[in-house]
Formats: sequence, structure tokens, C-alpha cells
Amino acid sequence: MTVSGVAGARPGALAVAPERRAAKRKAQWRRRRMVLLMMSPWIVGFTVFFGYPLIANAYLSFTHYDLLSSPRWIGTRNYDFMFSGDKQIWPAVKNTLWFIAIAVPLQVIFAFGVAQIVARARSGVGFFRTVFYLPTLAPPVAATLAFVFLFNPATGPVNTILSKIGIEGPLWFQSPSWSKPSLTLLALWGVGNAMIIFLAAILDVPKHLHESAELDGAGWFNRMRYVTLPSISPVILFSVVIGVIQGLQYFDQAYVASTVAAPGAAGNAADSSINLGYPEGSTLMYPVLLYQQGFRYFNMGYAAAMSIMLLLVSLVVTLLIVRNSNRWVHAAGGVK
Amino acid sequence: MRRSALAIAALLPALAVGACGGGGSGGNSSSKAPPKYDGKPVTITLWHGFTSREAGILNGVVKDFERTHPTIKVKTVGGVTDDKIVAALRGGNPPDVAQSFSTDNTGAFCGSGGWIDLKPYMDRDKVAVAQFPKAVQTYTTFDGKRCALPMMADVYGLYYNKDMFKKAGIASPPKTFSELTADAKKLTVKNGDGSIKVAGFDPTFGFYESVHAHYAPLFNAQWQDTSGKSTLATDPWMKLLRWQKDLVDWYGYGKLTKFNAGAGEEFSASNAFEKGKLAMNMDGEFRTAFIADEAPHLNYGVAPMPVDDSQPELYGGGYVTGNIIGIPKTAKNKAAAWELMKYLATDPHALATLTNGLKNVPTTATGLKSPEIKADGNFQPFLDIFENEHTQTNPPTAIGSANQELFQNFLAKWQAGKVPDSQLASGLKGVDQQIDAQIQNATAGQAP
Amino acid sequence: MATAVPVSRPLVRREVPREIRRRRFLVAVAEHSVLIGLAIAFLAPFVFIVLTSVMTDHQSLSTNLWPQPAKFSNYSQVFKDAPLLTYAGNTFLYATLATVGMLISSVPVAYALACMRWRGRNVVFGLVLVSMMLPPQVTVVPQYVMWSKLHLIGTIWPLVLPNWFGDAFSIFLLRQFFLTIPRDYADAARVDGLGEFRIMASVMTRLARPALVAVALFSFLYAWNDFFGPLLYTGENQGHWTLSVGLAQFRHLHSVQWNLTMAATLLFMAPVIALFFAAQKKFVEGVNLTGVKG
Repeated sequence: MTVSGVAGARPGALAVAPERRAAKRKAQWRRRRMVLLMMSPWIVGFTVFFGYPLIANAYLSFTHYDLLSSPRWIGTRNYDFMFSGDKQIWPAVKNTLWFIAIAVPLQVIFAFGVAQIVARARSGVGFFRTVFYLPTLAPPVAATLAFVFLFNPATGPVNTILSKIGIEGPLWFQSPSWSKPSLTLLALWGVGNAMIIFLAAILDVPKHLHESAELDGAGWFNRMRYVTLPSISPVILFSVVIGVIQGLQYFDQAYVASTVAAPGAAGNAADSSINLGYPEGSTLMYPVLLYQQGFRYFNMGYAAAMSIMLLLVSLVVTLLIVRNSNRWVHAAGGVK
Repeated sequence: MRRSALAIAALLPALAVGACGGGGSGGNSSSKAPPKYDGKPVTITLWHGFTSREAGILNGVVKDFERTHPTIKVKTVGGVTDDKIVAALRGGNPPDVAQSFSTDNTGAFCGSGGWIDLKPYMDRDKVAVAQFPKAVQTYTTFDGKRCALPMMADVYGLYYNKDMFKKAGIASPPKTFSELTADAKKLTVKNGDGSIKVAGFDPTFGFYESVHAHYAPLFNAQWQDTSGKSTLATDPWMKLLRWQKDLVDWYGYGKLTKFNAGAGEEFSASNAFEKGKLAMNMDGEFRTAFIADEAPHLNYGVAPMPVDDSQPELYGGGYVTGNIIGIPKTAKNKAAAWELMKYLATDPHALATLTNGLKNVPTTATGLKSPEIKADGNFQPFLDIFENEHTQTNPPTAIGSANQELFQNFLAKWQAGKVPDSQLASGLKGVDQQIDAQIQNATAGQAP
Repeated sequence: MATAVPVSRPLVRREVPREIRRRRFLVAVAEHSVLIGLAIAFLAPFVFIVLTSVMTDHQSLSTNLWPQPAKFSNYSQVFKDAPLLTYAGNTFLYATLATVGMLISSVPVAYALACMRWRGRNVVFGLVLVSMMLPPQVTVVPQYVMWSKLHLIGTIWPLVLPNWFGDAFSIFLLRQFFLTIPRDYADAARVDGLGEFRIMASVMTRLARPALVAVALFSFLYAWNDFFGPLLYTGENQGHWTLSVGLAQFRHLHSVQWNLTMAATLLFMAPVIALFFAAQKKFVEGVNLTGVKG
């Protein structure tokens, strides 16, 4: 394969032979074909698993579809139901928003705080890093089951230990006001991932920045505020965006916790979905309601409408954060 | 390349969602008799919800069927929930016969054609509908279409611990709800720290079998009127809810929740009633089999559930539901499947075996009178409840169990004290509207 | 700190005053105590899971914290009660197939996005990002319909196949990493006459091995822990359940005791934790790659 001709040759300026031009075009074509070949899996995947579902979803949202017979066109009835008939959707939205507004920032702050302390420790960094990362390896289902059991208000170790020091523990997963905080605790247990990222970033902050700040008389708090935080702000933004996205999709833990924490089951073969959102709908997150409507109430069309809404919200939220990131994030390289 | 990709994408929805036979909206309205089983050897699959001991009993009955039908082999799969049945109906890999513990999805199965209409088969083989009691007929049809046969029924009554009764000086089980409350208070034992050690009667909605639907017949509370509109905002329901709240408040909702969290699993050997943590419990007739197996020394008795003080004539009845069996539309061996269905639903020997083994109630008139049934002291009351004229079930809807779940959501708030009594009527009306809206959304666009 | 004195006098380190030394020591102690406290809090759930897994059923419902006696037979009981080996086999199959497919399909895409110049490159990258941010619930309904028309519900194929067409997160990560590899390597190879494909296959993959290992580990971990997908697509067919579905259904199927459930939970976590300890360095490297270069 011949290498392209004279670099930067302007067409017509020099006597570029037509064979050279043809050869160049051929090389370009070959390169485009190569790109196409390499991208082909993704192109197919994107179209089939992303593009098509989006379009089909939009179509389905205007139908009633129970998946046992063909979809039935009903116009905007699903959206009417969503905004006036369905009393469950607004609480579900609020639950998801609660999670994003409270659990996500707590996770970021907690991960950062722990990383700060680990960074300053001189011995055993490897050990602590392992310990804090281990819970993230636990599958969400297993972790949730474990937590529901451990926080059982009557027989679980947490309340048992609390009672030994004289505190009457709350009802945790069985209480509507404590169920989301319990899920938050579960999320905090799993910040190992974010913590390691923060740790690496904190250790990456150039020492001279800290030293000059120290010289200027800054205490540890001001140093953190004016040196560390700005320097690692891209990482903070990254964590927040990931956290929000995960919050919008939060399903596994809420599903498992509500079905497992509920007492007994009506009927023999525990149709566990009757307890989605237990207790009192406090854990009914938007994705859980979507699952319930679509896969339990034979209401796929409505579930499709719900997912369109979720898509719009995700796009808006992500855009908002990214658009405003310029305000909060310092360009790479930190303070010069 | 990009252009053709978009073209394909535009075509896909039409292909997948519309055209290729995406579920017929009733292709078997033909009154022609369906083909009879031709006797050729075949293997059919039966999905059911039983596990462990109970599954063993069903398998025994299936073996009996294979003996009388030597060319049909039956493969059984247990532990199946409705979710799985629905998924199989969609996914195209359904069993030949499906059994469900719950009648909640009869509406969906029948209405959508997921389970086939059985009338042609019943007419052809002269299987009479009249052999099933009225309530049983109710939960196997929807909108006039019968797509299910009953396979054993469950009725609910009051279990009580005789030893505890004797100790508390109570002579006989309560017949009205006020008597129930009084007895419950006498039988409750508290720990030193105020938590509940033994509960006289646990009124929490959602605990074990303490479910709104099971209480309804005791107050003659109706789920819907003749036009299908939800009727929860009516006196009988409100009386039930007020009784329940009174008792919940007496225990303390927080203490009850804690008690429930520490109560053993309903279907394990640590069942709270079997372990003596509950003095009285509303449960189904199947519990007698579990007790015989797991707690044989428990000294207990059975009686019909107490009823509304102002409607004493209701006493003796209760809530009935049952297992249903049906044939999925896309089942591969419908003729042979129907033979198994007939056997499980109507064969007297099969019914008697299931009755004695599962301690469920047989669903045919002849089945009830079969001499093979061993009805001991604690089982006979259930047979009586089954035949009582005041025994009712909850009607199937087009939205599966959504109406029950939406009601349960409200009840969760009610029993926690989040709904003041003055707002009970309006709250119930809100639930009615929600249910009606959900049904409307489900039936939208359908030709009336 | 000490000013340089151009004289033969030796540098005298200023003696750090005792108060400051003591304060620093106390702060260090405080920080270490906090760390140790946190470590205990983080490890405590594991400890309790282990303890409960060897309790008797009655004990797991009581407030006793310590099992007596320790019933190790719970573990064999779990294997008897549920076909854990089947579930594990299914999970392993899913995770392996998905990871292999991801590698094969995502590496070329990342390479094309990072190392080759073509029109629309940034638009495509933007699309990759968008598809990453999309909640799976948005596409699940039509995807489910599609798979049911293909009669693949009840198998693991709906879970495996999409990975053979590129995984957005892996593409993102690999592209970021490829960007950091100096162009000289690729250019030198081009001068030597190697085709793009060869360059990608031999040069880049060798240089990018840490990134490849990292995405492979993440992909495996994600598939191993995946719950929603397997619940949806294998839920109706117990023979194809993965460990996560089996565990969630464990309680329901056998009205089961918490002690057995905790034992099953541990067994579910064990392979992944073992994998972590074996590949610890790569794991941490990989995690750093996601965040710092992001």
C-alpha cells in the first residue's frame, strides 16, 4: 500500500499527477471502508438495541398492549392516565427524586470524605482500600437481602446491638419513613468504587499546590476547599453524573427490599409483586412502578409511555449537569 | 449504509409489532367441536405452583392419570407463579396445562385469549358446569368466557389454640367481630418491655392470610357493582376497616410491625400459629395438612370466621378461592392437555386424593360427597364453609390483581394511622376512582 | 523552611515544638480510629452474614448474635434445596459469553473512534455517550417484545447477544485509553506497511492490555451481578436462572429460612470475591481508568 503523496500538497498548486490523486482517493476509500468494518457491530447494535426500541417505544406508548394480543391503538389515553388517573405515578416520581436529591450527594460526599482520610493515612492504605472496595463486589440482590435481614427490627443484629446500648432502633425497612434511608445506607455501603477513584484523584493533586497554600497559611479545611476540590472537580462531576444516572434507573435493590421485607404473603405461592413499594409505597421507585404496570398489570403500552417520560427526564437532567459543568469544573491542570 | 440502516429501523416496528400473527384476537370462536385426542403417544407438560410435600401429592395424582391414560406422559414443573405463566404465554414456550394458585389473572387470561375458551371442549365431552358451585363458576370465567377449570378450592376459617383458650377461660370461638376483639385482648401476652410475645389475633392487613379480600364475605362487602364499577366506598367495607383499626391501635401499629417482622415465614415450620405465637389466626383449610406435618402436637380447633355483629346470618360462610387450570393458546398438545384437565377437575378419585393429601376442598358436588374423603374433626368445618350459601369470592377483573394491590396501598396507610377516620369515605372513593381509571386504561379502545 | 546559609555551619533543623508534635500525633490517631471504625462498619455486614449462615433456623429468627452450635451443614443443604450449580453454570456462561463478545466487538469501535480520522467521528462518540446514559427501562419494553417474537424468552441469549454488538461503557473506556497511547506507535506501524486491522490487533491490544483486562473484569462483574435482565428474560424458566434470580427466588420457593438464604448469598458472592483478590491490582487500575481519565 503506497503512502499518500506529498503532505499538504494543494490541489492544482503543484503538478500533482492524476495517478497520485486517484491513489489518494483510493486510500481514503479503503480507510473509510475499514472504519465502517470496525464500526459495523456497533452500528447494528445501536440500531437494533437502541434506535429501534426508542422508535417502537414511542409507537407503543399510544397503544394498549398486554403482550398476549396485538397492540391496540388508543391515542393519548396512556398519557391522560399518567397525568390524571394514575395515583401511583407522582409518589413514584417523588421517591426517585428523593433518592437522587439525597442519596446521590450523600454517596459522593461520603466517598470523598473516606478517600480524604485514607489519603492522609500513612500505613495500611492497601488494606483499607480493599476493605472499602469489597462491598461493591457483592451483587445488589445479595447485598439487599443481607441488609434487610441485618436490619430486621425485631431479630436483626443492628437493633439487637442498639438495644444493648439502650437505644430502641427504628423499624428500618419496615417503616415508611426509614425505608429509603435504609436503602441509602445500603448505597453508602457500596461507595467503594467512587472512593477509590477519589483516592487516586486526591493523591494526584500536585504537592506543590498544597505546599504553597500551606505557606500562605491555609489550614486543612481551606486547603481542601481551594486546592483539593477544584483540582478533582472533573472527578466529582463524573461521580455526580454517574450517580444521578444510576438513581434514575434504581430498580434491583428497591424491588428486592420491598418484596423481601414484607411480612408473609397473601396466598400460597407468594406472588411477590403484590408488595412492590412496601411499606406504604415508600420504596416504589419509578422503574419499579414501570415494571409493575408493564409486566404485572398487563399494561405494556402504559409502561412504554412511562419510559418515554423517563428518557426525557434523563436527557434534561444530564444536559443540565453537563451544561453547567463549566461553572463548577476547573479545566484539567487545576489552578495554575 | 447509514440510509439503509434507517430504512431497516423504520420497518422493524411494523414487522415485529403488527403483522406476523402477533396474537389473534379470538380465532377459536368456531363452534365446531375441537379434535379429540387421537391416542398417539405424546408427552405434555404441566406447570403448577406446588412445592415440596404438596408437589409430591400432585405428582401422585398425575401418576394415576398416566396409569389410566397410558399413551400420555406428563412432565411436571413446580413452584410456578403467575408471572412465569404470563411470561410463557408471551414468550411462546408455554406448558400444555398451566395451574395457578390465584384467580387474580383469570380476567387477563380469558379476556386476552391467553388461555383458550373451554366451552367447545366441555360441550363436546358433556362436562357440566352445574357441578361446580356458583362461587367457583365466578372465578373461572370472565366476560362470559370460561377459560379455566377449578382444581381444588380453598376456604378460610378461624384457627384457634385450644390450650390458650382454656387458660384464658374462653369457652368457644368468637362468632362476631366484637367477640373476636374481646378474645384477642384476653389472649395477648406481652413481654416485659411491652413488645408482643403472643398475639391474640393479628389484624395487620398483609400479614400471612390476613388480606382484605378474605374479610369481605364476613361483612358482605362487594368489590364492584353489576356494571363493573369499584364499590369500596360502601358501609360494609368501612365497618371492616374501622374494626381493624380499633384492634391495630390497641396493639400499637409499631409493635405489631415489629411482631410481624419477627414472625416466622408463613409456609415454614416456624409459622407463628404453629409455634404458639398466635392464639387465633385466619387461615385456609390447607393449614391442617401443614400442622399435621410440622406441628402434630398442636392442640387446635377450627371454626368459621366471626362475622359482622349486625349481620349474624352470615355466620358459617367465608372466603373461597381456588386453583385454576387452563390451556395456553399456543400449547402444542391441546387435545391431550384437555384430557388431563378433565381428570384433575372432575375425576372423583383424583379429587379425593388431592383432598386427603393437600387438604384442599374438592370443587365438584360429587367430589364433596365422595366416600374416599377422610374428613377429620378439623377438616369437616371447611367443607361446611364451602357449601355455605354466604361464601363468596372476589370477581376477576381485566387488570389482574391491580384492584387488590391499589386497595392494599390505601390500607397500608390506613392501618398505620396516616388516614384519619373523617377521611375514610373520601379515601375509599379515591381508591375506587383509581381502580376505575386503571380498568378504563386497560379496556380503552375496545369495541363495547 | 530553613533559609540556605552559604557557610560551613551545618543545617539546623528547627525542633518542632512539642505541642505541634502532639497535636499531629492526636490527629493521626483520630484519623486512624475513624478509619478503623469505618472498616469495622464496612466489614460488619459480611461478618453477620457468615455468622447467620451457620445458625439454625430458630436461631436466625432470634436475637442471638452468635451461632451455637455452628451448623456448617447449611451449606450442603443449600446445594440440596436449590440447583446452585446449575445457576452458577448459567451465570458463568452468561458472563463469559458476554465478556468475550464485548471485547471482540468493542475494541474495533474504540479503535476507530480514537485512532482513525473520519467525518462524523465526534457525532458517533456523542451517540455512544447518550446510549450509556439511557436507563435500560426505556428500551426494555420493545426489546422484550422483539425477543419474544424470536422465541428466545426463557434463555440467556437476550442477555448475551447485545454484548456482541458493542457495549457503550466499554467503548467509552477503551476509547479514552486508546487516546493516551502516543500516535508514534501506530504511525511507525503504518510506515512499515501494516494494515489498520493488524495495527489494532497486535500493536494496540498489546499496549492497551491493562485497559482490556479492566473492561473484561468490569463486564464479567456486571453480568455476574445482573438481576433485572435475567429476571426478565430467564424468569419463567428455572433451568436457565442465574444466581441472582435464584437467590431472589430462594426465599419464595422454599419458604426459606434466613440462615440458608445467607449461606446462599455467600456462595453467590464467593467467586467474584475470589476473582477480586486474585486480580486485585488490575481491578484497582481499571477503576482508576474509569474515573481519572473520564
